Amino acid sequence: MPNTKRYLITGGVGFAVGTFFLWNYPNLGLGSALLGGLVIAALCLLYSAPLADMIKAGLIAGMFGAVMTIVYGTHKPGVAIIAGMVSGLGAGLLAFQRSPQANPKKAAILGAEAGAIAGAWTGLSLFVMAFVIAPAAGIDAGDFAEHLSETVILADVLGLGSDILILLFAFAFSTLSGAILGAASCAARSLPLRPNIPLLAVIALPVLLIPLIDRAGNLLLLDALIPIYIFILLALGLNIVVGYAGLLDLGYAAFFAIGAYTTAMLSSPHLGINLSFWLVIWVAAAVAAIAGLTLGAPTLPLRGDYLAIVTLGFGEIVPILFRSLGGGPPGGTLTLRFFGMPIGIEQVDLTGGNKGINPISPPHLPLIGDFDPSNKIPWYYLLILIMGLAIFFINRLRDSRQGRAWMAMREDELAADAMGINVVRTKLLAFSMGAMFSGFGGAFYGAFIGAIFPSSFDFSVSIILLCMVILGGLGNMTGVIVGGLLIQGADKMFIPKGAELFRRIAETKARAEGSSTVGVSALQDLTQQRLLLFGIVLVVMMLVRPEGLLPNERRKAELHPDDDTINSNSVAAEAEADPSLAA
Amino acid sequence: MAASQTPSSPQAAPLVPREPFLTKRRAFSIVGLIIFLGFFAIPIYQTILLEMWDSPRQLTQQIVIGLTKGTYIAVIALGYTLVYGILELINFAHGDLFMIGAFLALIFISLFGLDPKTSSGITIFFSLIGILGLVMVCTALMNAGIERFAYRPLRNAPRLAPLISAIGMSFVLQNVGIFLGDGLIWDKLAAGLGSDAIGRVADAMGTQSVAPKNIPDLLPNGQVFFIPDSLKYTYKDLLVAVVSLGLLAGLYSFVRFTKLGKAIRATAQDRDAARLMGINADRTISVTFLIGGALGGAAGMIVGLYNGTALFSMGFTAGLLSFTAAVLGGIGNILGSALGGLLIGLILALSDQYIGTRWSNAVIFAILVLILLFRPTGLLGQEGGQKA
Repeated sequence: MPNTKRYLITGGVGFAVGTFFLWNYPNLGLGSALLGGLVIAALCLLYSAPLADMIKAGLIAGMFGAVMTIVYGTHKPGVAIIAGMVSGLGAGLLAFQRSPQANPKKAAILGAEAGAIAGAWTGLSLFVMAFVIAPAAGIDAGDFAEHLSETVILADVLGLGSDILILLFAFAFSTLSGAILGAASCAARSLPLRPNIPLLAVIALPVLLIPLIDRAGNLLLLDALIPIYIFILLALGLNIVVGYAGLLDLGYAAFFAIGAYTTAMLSSPHLGINLSFWLVIWVAAAVAAIAGLTLGAPTLPLRGDYLAIVTLGFGEIVPILFRSLGGGPPGGTLTLRFFGMPIGIEQVDLTGGNKGINPISPPHLPLIGDFDPSNKIPWYYLLILIMGLAIFFINRLRDSRQGRAWMAMREDELAADAMGINVVRTKLLAFSMGAMFSGFGGAFYGAFIGAIFPSSFDFSVSIILLCMVILGGLGNMTGVIVGGLLIQGADKMFIPKGAELFRRIAETKARAEGSSTVGVSALQDLTQQRLLLFGIVLVVMMLVRPEGLLPNERRKAELHPDDDTINSNSVAAEAEADPSLAA
Repeated sequence: MAASQTPSSPQAAPLVPREPFLTKRRAFSIVGLIIFLGFFAIPIYQTILLEMWDSPRQLTQQIVIGLTKGTYIAVIALGYTLVYGILELINFAHGDLFMIGAFLALIFISLFGLDPKTSSGITIFFSLIGILGLVMVCTALMNAGIERFAYRPLRNAPRLAPLISAIGMSFVLQNVGIFLGDGLIWDKLAAGLGSDAIGRVADAMGTQSVAPKNIPDLLPNGQVFFIPDSLKYTYKDLLVAVVSLGLLAGLYSFVRFTKLGKAIRATAQDRDAARLMGINADRTISVTFLIGGALGGAAGMIVGLYNGTALFSMGFTAGLLSFTAAVLGGIGNILGSALGGLLIGLILALSDQYIGTRWSNAVIFAILVLILLFRPTGLLGQEGGQKA
C-alpha cells in the first residue's frame, strides 16, 4: 500500500487541526468538526490516485474558494461570488489540463462539472461561515444579512433569503465559469497559435481584472496582492540563482535591500537627490547586479553549503551596513588613527539608521501625475508590467546559451568546465542576473511603501523566498509563481485575516463566559501561531511532494533514474508516476 | 605541459596537474574580496590595534570572555557538524532546539522551586545536574523525533527538500517556544491539576508569551581570580567553560573510541558502504540526532543560566553563530567545530569591545569569507572532492 503513508500523514494533520479547533473554540462545535472533516476528506481524496480528473480539479480549486470565503466572507460576503468564479475558472482549467478533450462540448461539460464541484465547496463554506462561524465570532446575524443585501441587490428583488441567494450565485457562477473555461481551453487548442498563448490569456485576464473587481467590491485585496507580487518577482530572480544555476543562496534579501536603499537614497529628500523613479529603477537594478558580482567574486571557489553560509553572511552584513551607515547624531565625527595621526571622518547620515528613509518619492506619469499611495490601481498595473517583462526576459534567458550553461553547471560543474563553459563567467552572471531582478523588486517596493527600514530585509525574507522557490518547484517559473502565491497568500492574506476571525471568536467566547477579554493565550491567538502553521505547511509539503508542486520536467527526469535503489522509500517514485503533469 | 614534466619519473607525475595558487578564479576572488572588505579600510585596523595595545588588561578580559562564549558556541556547533557530517543537511532546527533547552531548563528550575536566595548550595548543585540530564534527554528525544518524521522520509528526495523541511521544523520549534513561554497556558494547566509547582512555572513565564524570560541566577558568582581595575573571572565563567569542554571531550572520545562512534564515522563516510558492512544506518543516524539534540539542549541550559534570560527567538542568532563556527572549522569535523567555536567566540568578544556590538555579525562573516577564500573547506576540513 504505497498510499498508506500519505493517508496517515494527511489524516494525522487533519485530526490534529480538528482537535485543536474543537479544544480551543468549542462554540464553533459542529462547524469546526464539519470543516475539519471536509478538509481531511478532501486531502485523502486528493491523494488517492484513480479519481476522476474533474473531481480532483474541482476539489483543488474549491479549496481555494472555501478558504477565501471563510476568511474574507465575514466582512464581505460578496467575496464568495468572486471566490466561486475564480475557483470555477481554476477548476475548468485544471480539469482540461488533466484530461484534454477534443470536442468543445465535452470539454465544456467537463469544465462545468469541475466548476460545479468547486462551486459546491464555495457555497458550502459560505453556509458554514454564515451560520456557524459568523455567530461564533460575534458578528450579529442581522448585521450579516444587511451586509449581504448591500452586496446583492437582487436579494430584495427576488425576495429570497440573501444567504441562500449568494450560495446559489457562487455555485452558478462557478459552474458557468468552469464550463466557459473548459470550452475556451478546447477552442484555444484548435487555434493556430502556440499552445501556451491562449493559456496565458486565460490566466492574464483575471490578473488584469482584479483591480476592477476589487474596487467594485471594496475588498482591499490590492493592499495584500502588491507585496505578494513583489515577493514573487524576487522569487523569480532567486530561481535563476538556485533553480537554474544550482547555487544555494541564503542571503538573497541583501539584493532586495540594495535595490530598495538605492531607490530610497536617490529619489527622496533624505540626501537631497530627487531623481525620477523611471531612472532610479534602472540604477537600482544595476547597483544590485554589481552587488551580485561583488558577492559572486569571493565565493567562486566555494561549493555547496560553504557557498550557502557565505551568502547567508552577505545577507546578514548588508542590513547591518544599512543600519549602521547612518542614524548617528548629525555632524558627528568618527576619529580614527592612521599611523598615529588622528584623522576625523565626518559622519554622514546615509541611510537613516534604524529609522530608515522616509519618505520616498513616488513615480510620476504625465496623465496620472504622482502615483498616490491610497490609490493602488496604477501601482498594480505598473507592477504587472514589470513582472510581465521579467517573466518574458527570464523565460528567454533560460533557453538561451547562457541559460543552458547555467543548467549544465548545476548538473556537474566539472563536466561543464570540460565542455568549454566558462564557469567563472557563468557563476558571476547567475549571481548578477538574479540580483538584478531583486533590484527591480526593491526599487518598486521602496517607492510603493514610501519608506524603508533595515528590519524589512532580514534573514526571514531570504528564507521565505527560498521556500517559495523550492516549494513551487525548483527551476520552473510556473511552479515558483504558484508556490509564491500559496506561501505569500497564506502569510499576508489568509493567516492575518483568519487570525482576526479567531481572535473575535475567542473574545466572544470569553465575553459569554464573563471573563476578561484582555489575556488571550498564545494557543488562541492565530497571529502567534503564524510560525507554527507556516512550519507545518513547509514540512508537510515537503513530505508529500519533495520536488515541489510543479517540478521542472527536465530536472525531474534528471533526478530520478539514478536514485539509490537500496532505499525502498517510494515517495519519490510515486511522485514520478503521478500522471498529473502528463498534460 | 609535457615539456615541464621530468622524464625520469613518469609515475610521479600527477594525473591532474596541481593548480597553481593564483588561478584566474582565485584572482577574481581576491579582487572581489578587496571590494568586499573595502569598508574596513586601513585606518580602522590601525585604530583597533592601537586601542588593544593601549590597554592590555581590557584585551585579556575580552579574550577571557570570548573563550568562555566560544566554548558554548562550540557545543552548539557540534550539533550542526554531527548532522551535517552524516546527512549533509544543514539542520536549521538545531538552533531552536537550543532555545527549547533554555526554556525547559527554566521550566524544570521553577518546577523544583529552586531559588538562589532560599535553596542551599548543595541542593542547587545536585538539582542542576539532574535538570541538565532531564533537559538533555528531552531535547535528544525531540531531535530524534524530528529526524524520524521530518527528515527520514526525505532521504532520497532532492537535496533541498530536507533543508526546507528543517526550516519548517525550525519555525515549528520557535512556536513551541512561544507556547512554552505562555504563562496563561501554564495557569490553565495549574488550575486544572491544582498543582503549585506548575503555578510557579506560570509565574516564571509571565503573561507575555513573546517577552524574554528571566532565569534565576543559580550559578555561583564568586571570583576565581581578580585583578583590580578590569580583569575578573568568576566561578560562573569557569563552570560554563568546564561543562562545555567536558561535553566536547566526551563527544570526541565517544565518536573516536566507541563502537557506535565508529559506526557514525563509517555512515558519515559512505552510507551505502556502511550498510553493506552490517551497520544499521537508520539507527546510527538516530543516535547521531540523539547526541546532537542532547548537546543542543545542554548548551541551551548553560547559556540560559549564564545569561539569565530565555527568549523564543534566541535560537536563531545562536544557531547562526554556531553554524558559522562549524563551517569555519570545516563542517563535519568535530575538532574543527570546537576550534571554530572558540574562534567565533573570540572574534565576537573582541569586535563587541573594539568595533561595536552592531558590527559584530558583519565582522564575523567578513572573517569567515576571508578564511574560506584561502581554505574553501574550512580550517580543518578535508578537500572532499566533488561532494555537495
